[in-house]
Amino acid sequence: MNSQNLEEIGKKENNRQKQYKRRIFCCTSTACLSAGAGQTFSTVNQSVSACKCAENEAEVVQTGCMGLCSRGPMVRVDYRDGESTLYGNVSPEIAQLIIAHHLPIEGKDSEIERSSGDVASPHDMLHFRASLREARGKKGLEKYIIPTDLPFYSKQVKVVLNEIGQINPNKIEDYLAHGGYKALTYVLENLTPEEICDEILHSGLRGRGGAGYPTGQKWHFVRQEDSRPKFVIVNGDEGDPGAYMDRTVMEDNPHRVLEGMIICAYAVGATNGYLYIRGEYPIAIDRVKNAILAARRHRILGNSVLGTDFSFNAEVRIGAGAFVCGEETALINSVEGKRGMPRIRPPYPSKSGLWKAPTVINNVETMANIPSIINRGASWFASIGTEKSKGTKVFALAGQLRNTGLIEVPIGITLRDIVFEIGGGIPGDRDFKAAQTGGPSGGCIPSEFLDSPVDYESLTRLGSIMGSGGLVIIDDSTGMPGFARFFMDFCMDESCGKCVPCRIGTVQIRSLLDKIISGKGVAEDLVKLENLCKLVKNTSLCGLGQSAPNPVLSTLRYFNHEYQAIVQPSLPVSSGND
Amino acid sequence: MVELIINGKEILAKPGQTIMEAALANNIDIPRLCFHPELMVSGGCRLCIVDVQGRPNPTPSCGLACENGMVIETHNSKLFDLRRDILDLFISDHPLNCVTCEKSGACQLQKYAYEHDIHKTSYEFKISKPIYQDDNPFFIRDHQYCILCGRCVRVCDEIVGASAIDFARRGFESYIATPFDDAMVDSTCVFCGNCIQVCPTAALMPVSRKGKGREWELDRVKTICGYCGVGCQIEYAIRNGNIIYAQSSPDAPVNGEFLCTKGRFGWDFSTSPDRLTTPLVRRDLAFELGLTSEAWQLPLDSPLAIRNPKVEESFIPVDWETAFEVVSEKLASTVKLYGPDSVMGLASARCTNEDNYLFQKFMRVGIGTNNIDHCARL
Amino acid sequence: MTANKLASDMMNGHQSGDERFSVIDRTMKRFKYEKDSLLEVLNSAQETFGYLSKDLLFYISNQLQVPMSRVYGVATFYHMFTFVPLGEHNCIICKGTACHVKGADRIINAISEEFCVNAGETTSDNLLSLNIARCLGSCGLAPVVVLDGEVSGKQTPEAVTNRIREIISISKEINAEKVEAG
Repeated sequence: MNSQNLEEIGKKENNRQKQYKRRIFCCTSTACLSAGAGQTFSTVNQSVSACKCAENEAEVVQTGCMGLCSRGPMVRVDYRDGESTLYGNVSPEIAQLIIAHHLPIEGKDSEIERSSGDVASPHDMLHFRASLREARGKKGLEKYIIPTDLPFYSKQVKVVLNEIGQINPNKIEDYLAHGGYKALTYVLENLTPEEICDEILHSGLRGRGGAGYPTGQKWHFVRQEDSRPKFVIVNGDEGDPGAYMDRTVMEDNPHRVLEGMIICAYAVGATNGYLYIRGEYPIAIDRVKNAILAARRHRILGNSVLGTDFSFNAEVRIGAGAFVCGEETALINSVEGKRGMPRIRPPYPSKSGLWKAPTVINNVETMANIPSIINRGASWFASIGTEKSKGTKVFALAGQLRNTGLIEVPIGITLRDIVFEIGGGIPGDRDFKAAQTGGPSGGCIPSEFLDSPVDYESLTRLGSIMGSGGLVIIDDSTGMPGFARFFMDFCMDESCGKCVPCRIGTVQIRSLLDKIISGKGVAEDLVKLENLCKLVKNTSLCGLGQSAPNPVLSTLRYFNHEYQAIVQPSLPVSSGND
Repeated sequence: MVELIINGKEILAKPGQTIMEAALANNIDIPRLCFHPELMVSGGCRLCIVDVQGRPNPTPSCGLACENGMVIETHNSKLFDLRRDILDLFISDHPLNCVTCEKSGACQLQKYAYEHDIHKTSYEFKISKPIYQDDNPFFIRDHQYCILCGRCVRVCDEIVGASAIDFARRGFESYIATPFDDAMVDSTCVFCGNCIQVCPTAALMPVSRKGKGREWELDRVKTICGYCGVGCQIEYAIRNGNIIYAQSSPDAPVNGEFLCTKGRFGWDFSTSPDRLTTPLVRRDLAFELGLTSEAWQLPLDSPLAIRNPKVEESFIPVDWETAFEVVSEKLASTVKLYGPDSVMGLASARCTNEDNYLFQKFMRVGIGTNNIDHCARL
Repeated sequence: MTANKLASDMMNGHQSGDERFSVIDRTMKRFKYEKDSLLEVLNSAQETFGYLSKDLLFYISNQLQVPMSRVYGVATFYHMFTFVPLGEHNCIICKGTACHVKGADRIINAISEEFCVNAGETTSDNLLSLNIARCLGSCGLAPVVVLDGEVSGKQTPEAVTNRIREIISISKEINAEKVEAG
């Protein structure tokens, strides 16, 4: 199997898809599944079969996330001529209506096509669309339609999520039909490892797991190490509560991640790779494993990748419920079958990582950017974003917002645009209070900074971090001390226990917060709290401890009045003679 | 060699040495609780942080390799405050029972708390693991004093190879456990006591220690273990002529601070009431030789010798001159009558090596036989 | 343990003859009995047996030649491993940020109160286990509850307690019938 074969498979799939007048896409990502997408998908299939129409009338496609997760299950009907309609909240009953509306029944034309006759001229087309809308309105389907010119969609720029919702993640042919593995064949045929690392470096891509380290730089470090073997690890241990970007990419387009990983392996000289996926993502684990099998069958993985003398094998390793394993060295220990406790650095994984060998560890989203950077060029990628933060970022938009779901936006977009344009603003009569970025490692951005650009530097300046992409919007019904305590609870639970500042510090911070929130705190406790947070931040061994106090520090900074309101004034110091 | 500057002083370090190792080799005492020169680096106590020029934050010195041109400060007011604050957290989870604790005077946590002038925690006192395990005759595990430095786990894994214990659970609930919290005797523990040796606090203490005196009340005597051919150095802690516990020190030749179960715990014979203090002659021989007027016979049901002898019943004490006379006469006559190989010498590991050397010399040259053996070989 | 005994152990499976051990054996074989595969083997064991018993962990320790202390240390570190069997019904409440903000705590409290069980525990009659998950990734449908494997979004305390009451009463009926019949 070589690159030409792959291209042919892609073309064949493309042609196969083009034979269908309509393709009906059903989202089966975890979020939609928990809203009942499983039944919707079966109903769509049953309804289409029940129509008994010609085979090329319709294909039902199991696909991935279509973004607006709060309106799941989602179904989209794409016509060959380009017309497309997106439906949300599709229960099995609505699914039946949609199929009845769009499909001809028993060899006869669909209701619309029957009434419009032969559609030929543009004028007829207009008339056709108008009657389409009228008929939908009659059936009550109008309220289920999601207009795709909604700012939720129009303000997004899809790079990582590009094929998601368009392809069947279980079919490598579909990925190939959409240009998949072209970047890999290009680098194998045209670029040296050094050139690949340079390209990634010039693109300005920074680690999307949260730390924001320049990816190209990391690759260069490992490439330059002389020792063998070398390893690539893809970090799919997305432990932030409220973040599901990586899960979506692994579930709904695992080949994109694989492609990035193989390109990385070629660039740094690695022979084996591991995708570490948290145990709480069984569907992602299955889909990635299947993708690996498919890649092996097509000689994209194995002893002679696409006929070259580059060999690379990848396998999945499963986590078992430890947020700390998202930290690089803890992850390495976990892959080595040990307790997921971090190691001190230096030495860094690029010098001494998995089994003491030079190792690249990159987040799922980081890897998923690689094919696009190769295909479209570093300058293209660098043209998106800000001066120091290039490209796009996937966010899991959640919380007290009208539109919640998965979005991908150019870095540098303002928070206001995300909350009010994309997110549709706060529902009910409540007001925006803060945006929490970076999950338990990040901070809250209050309303006075709504016009800040969302990029690595600005967020750090504001006391938060970009993080992995969890973005939770809270309204004025949420109390900030309690919100901070929720995150500290989490960090305390997830602390590995190795170092004292985190193991004991997080417990003491939580204890102080409890005291303050229960009304038993005094003003001095706020000073103690802040100092302890700074101690834990500055002396903890790993990123978990170092960033655990962020939610507390940021709420103390911006919502100090809420804390002041619940503490007693300090007791006066006695003069000594009582 | 690597050249660097520590606290303004030019230091030469071996290639591959860490800052900690280089500092200790030059008598610079960087505070440390989890570091141990014989064990792999952990980096968890955070006390060994030092200022490295060019780095924004203090870095743990136990894991940082020396590089040419590095400029390091191990002690300054900022580091003092940071260490003090970290110790504050340590003692929020550690009972300050120094008044009665037997580790007082040898406790590393106490040492650093004293050096950083911290006598009570400014946080809420919360004990993470109020577990007390007294399930074997050799040592007590009092987890309320455990600071989770992990030295015991590392020594059991890396030096001893028994891997009897490991960290269990995580976070604040972590503790050092045998599998399923089984009793120590049911684990792979070999009771070498090296975990006690490396434990910086009172979490691991020998059973024999309890109530026997404060560290500064004990005398120290160095000696060589007689149990086997390795000849490890032992340092006994003694009070009023009794051994309280055994340990060793890092500078001991051969074994450093590590001992085996025999060396560490096998000394209670020294004060056993069953020990002989004068030469004794069996009553029937004594009667025969005229040393006593009371007749006596071996009990008939004893096959070879006296089983569970009640010493006072079966032997009479004699002085050394009498003993020499009896032994030399009897040995000489036996050798003359039956030949040298009719005599066998049985030495003991509990004698000194020098005594055993003399004994075998006596047997081979004096008696003229090679029939000599030693209890440790059996 | 001698090499011969180890080899024969590997061939014959676990002495109990329990078929499920062959699943674990296959996992270990796939990883060539390497010590580093401990986490994968434990995952496989948890999935196959539903919980990790002492016997099971000893078996894994022997087969992989990993010290028992390390097996226990690794197993107790990760939250997905359990050491006692779950109750007949398992209810998982998501405590992710979005679910927390939308009132997951109220659901947990309602269940705790009505069924006398705390998070991480099983009721004394073994009918219900209550567990917390740290984000199931369905944040658009917060608060999310998983009852006996079925994921449901936008839940309320009343809805959840009603459903649990229903399935528990069905279980009680079935169990009572079994007792009568047996």
